[in-house]
Amino acid sequence: MHRTPGIADLLYAYANGDMDPVEHAARVLEEIRRWEPKVNAFISLEDPELVLEAAEDAGKRWKRGEARPLEGILVGVKDNISTSFLPTTAASRMLDPYVPPYNATVVDRLLERGAIIHGKLNLDEFAMGSTGEFSAFGPTRNPWSLDRVPGGSSSGSGACLAYAGCDGALGSDTGGSVRLPAAYTATVGLKPTYGLVSRRGLIPYGNSLEQISPMARSVRDVALLLEAIAGWDPGDATSLRTEAPSLSGLKPAEPGEVRVCVPRGLPELAEEPVRKAFYSLLERLESEGASVGEVEMRGVERALPAYYTIALAEAASNLARYDGTLYPMRGESGEYWRYIAQARGRGFGFEVKKRILMGVYVLSEGYRDEYYVAATRLRRLVRDEVLRATRGCILATPASPVMPPRLGERIGDPLKLYAMDAYTVIANLAGVPALVQPAGFHEGLPIGVQFMAGRLGEPQLIRLGLLVEELTGLAEVVAG
Amino acid sequence: MKARIGLEIHVQLSEAGTKLFCNCDSEYRRYRPNENVCPVCLGLPGALPVPGKRPVELALAAALALNCEPPRALVFTRKHYFYPDLPKNYQITQFEKVGGSPVCTGGYLDYLSPDDWEWRRVRIRRINLEEDPGRTSYEGSILSSRYAYVDYNRSGVPLLEIVTEPDLKSPRDARVMVEYLLLTLEYLGATNPRLEGVFRVDANVSLEGGERVEIKNIGSTLDVERALRYEINRQRLVLERGGKVERETRHWDAERGVTKPLRYKEEEEEYLYFPDPDLPPVLITRDLLEAAREKVAEWSPRRVYEEILGLGVKREVAWSITSVPAAARTYLAGVKSGGDPGILARIVGVDLKGELREQGRDPYNPGNWPEPGKLAELSRLVAKGEYTYDAVKGLVLPKLAANPEAPLEELLPEKVEDLEPLVEEVLKEEEKAVKDYLGGKKKALNYLVGAVMRKARKRALDPRRARELLLKRLEAMKTGA
Repeated sequence: MHRTPGIADLLYAYANGDMDPVEHAARVLEEIRRWEPKVNAFISLEDPELVLEAAEDAGKRWKRGEARPLEGILVGVKDNISTSFLPTTAASRMLDPYVPPYNATVVDRLLERGAIIHGKLNLDEFAMGSTGEFSAFGPTRNPWSLDRVPGGSSSGSGACLAYAGCDGALGSDTGGSVRLPAAYTATVGLKPTYGLVSRRGLIPYGNSLEQISPMARSVRDVALLLEAIAGWDPGDATSLRTEAPSLSGLKPAEPGEVRVCVPRGLPELAEEPVRKAFYSLLERLESEGASVGEVEMRGVERALPAYYTIALAEAASNLARYDGTLYPMRGESGEYWRYIAQARGRGFGFEVKKRILMGVYVLSEGYRDEYYVAATRLRRLVRDEVLRATRGCILATPASPVMPPRLGERIGDPLKLYAMDAYTVIANLAGVPALVQPAGFHEGLPIGVQFMAGRLGEPQLIRLGLLVEELTGLAEVVAG
Repeated sequence: MKARIGLEIHVQLSEAGTKLFCNCDSEYRRYRPNENVCPVCLGLPGALPVPGKRPVELALAAALALNCEPPRALVFTRKHYFYPDLPKNYQITQFEKVGGSPVCTGGYLDYLSPDDWEWRRVRIRRINLEEDPGRTSYEGSILSSRYAYVDYNRSGVPLLEIVTEPDLKSPRDARVMVEYLLLTLEYLGATNPRLEGVFRVDANVSLEGGERVEIKNIGSTLDVERALRYEINRQRLVLERGGKVERETRHWDAERGVTKPLRYKEEEEEYLYFPDPDLPPVLITRDLLEAAREKVAEWSPRRVYEEILGLGVKREVAWSITSVPAAARTYLAGVKSGGDPGILARIVGVDLKGELREQGRDPYNPGNWPEPGKLAELSRLVAKGEYTYDAVKGLVLPKLAANPEAPLEELLPEKVEDLEPLVEEVLKEEEKAVKDYLGGKKKALNYLVGAVMRKARKRALDPRRARELLLKRLEAMKTGA
């Protein structure tokens, strides 16, 4: 383990002329060259020459005093977020090599603010997975322990941060997809309030649940990234008409003003080392003067089935469009139905097919009420409970019930696989923001903690996160 | 045997300006294939639908014009089926179940039957606002074509699906209703019913003692009548022979004028309906509602027709004006600027409209109509007796139809101020007719009047004055002789 400068440090160093963006970009490219053969965090990489040129331009802007908020920062983007300059595959053979004719709104915002997008990051196919193993381009490995997964579905986003192959990363979080990788790679992930960040250009999995979410190696850096990408987008009818919140200047919370509560019974679902790290962090907070209590929450134990029912219904619908007409994977039969079946049969991986079938099932006539409609009802219950609980305190849970699994350990058993999301799906069902950051290590493997606030409670989360960082000292750490 | 007919009418909001969920053009016919598209209407991954303001306003106005109780919010629902020209393989439409909320769930339309001038009522069961799919075409037939060509220019065009209760009594009744409905939507500025493929009708028809049969693919109002007539006869024959009319879906073959059974078996429909998570409910605000109400109240076929009737115009002529919105606007504006209501009605509703048709100029195009003030002036000249209606009809209207911009002064025929020389000439030339008249053949007078008018060539004269003059001279000749 060692430390490496984060976004805030780099911006400071660029501004003072202590570091040059070209020098930094070269170092990042070198890390990628060294680590990528082992880790497989990227699906496609920008031509190094173009990256260095962009860094050179950034350097000039800094010298001329024309630097933009993220000038010369290298941001990797999950490969389910549309870029018109690099293929966007969602880690599926179906879309290899689809190059969208437009940029996602968040991509435009990053570029307008001077960030350099130097590659597209690996993920579980169509973001369906919790380990990063369901990618058509092969699994991503965890830089902290190469026989372990980095968590998913934003596997590449967590992994590239953990080996300093990027300064920041965008992931997407449908049910924990940036927060599990953050927990397993000792990085920070923040799933924003639903609607705070535009989804335009995000290849959808579960539209009503997911948000494009920033990841970085510190809470401050995540705040910087979120500030850059948040805000109303007329191109997304679900985006909130709010100003982008001001986050980067926030100070750590005073322990005395912090109220944290733990949903009763929830931490007990976690493995022992996770539980221990979680409670020892809470004790630390308490000893500093924070109030730590418990809260009763109905329905949260059934959040997982409600989440999967809704996510898979939406997924089955979203994926109907891949029929071999407009996208790279084709069929060959002259018969329409056979042609579609061939294209879909070849283009989708096993997990995706399984989820489509389940999604179709829960929406079918005769089953819809029992599954889909019941799940939406349960969702409202969970949402109301979360909104009620977060009025008085910030909810704390472990980020994941388990330590980073070994490759192949979880994917054989869907119930065990889906159970990894037990803590994270709650925030997606409720539409509230959730922050995951390092809580500690156990036998060299990272453990994360999750905090949830009410809607648009990002500033509260950032301030608490900065305080926790001060207590744990776990910021800007990288593997190796 | 009594028939019960219900219709499902799909009408594009061709005049909305934009597609339902993106800014592409709602009138796609002027583009080359796949030019009127964007990531949203191509359904590209990550592209998001955003409801357009105009399509929503027009749909709401249509619902109010059809006497629906407006919903508090519009909810859009995904309806899934695989089809080559449906780019997402689901259609964004509306549905009354699973949390859906269509733009209308019950209303009615009173429509005028120009056959007996009665107002009739059809109940509206539901209206959905939805997106049209693209189009697939083939080289030759679907079987011989090497490729299926998909054009997405139409994909996403706003479409109303209007479903009636089975209240219609006859094929003619159904046709009349559809025509009135389309006119109502045209009055709202929602659609242009004359565009190719802008509406499609599916008809349900049952006879007493038989099951309901659905006929798909009816593309014109004439075919609504033809298809239903054919189908009712077919069902009657089946029943009269003691057979059974099965519940089925048939296809209207307009070329051969027959309905044919669809080859595939009817399956249980499975559309996996659920509310589109990309589209939050569109709240029907008071402002939206007020704007729609005003639009409906100020300008509807019924209001216009009754206003024209109220001016003392015969109903045939009143309807002839009403049925062409550009004519109606011209007429009412003309009356307002002081035109003679009766004469103006004849000009607008009968003769100028006919002349436009004759000359192949579209009377529905407002640009083909002269400025209302000009027609009002013309009607006043006739009313004052300056010109006869026939002179205006024969000499002015054809030129006005050819060039609506032409100034009136240039079009008005020169008037024959001094009739007497013409009368004298005619009396001299038409010896036989004069003799006939003097010999007691009163009809010869008409011939002589005609002769005077012919002499006037393109100049205008008052036939009553010519007649008076002729009579005076002939009487003088009689007594003189």
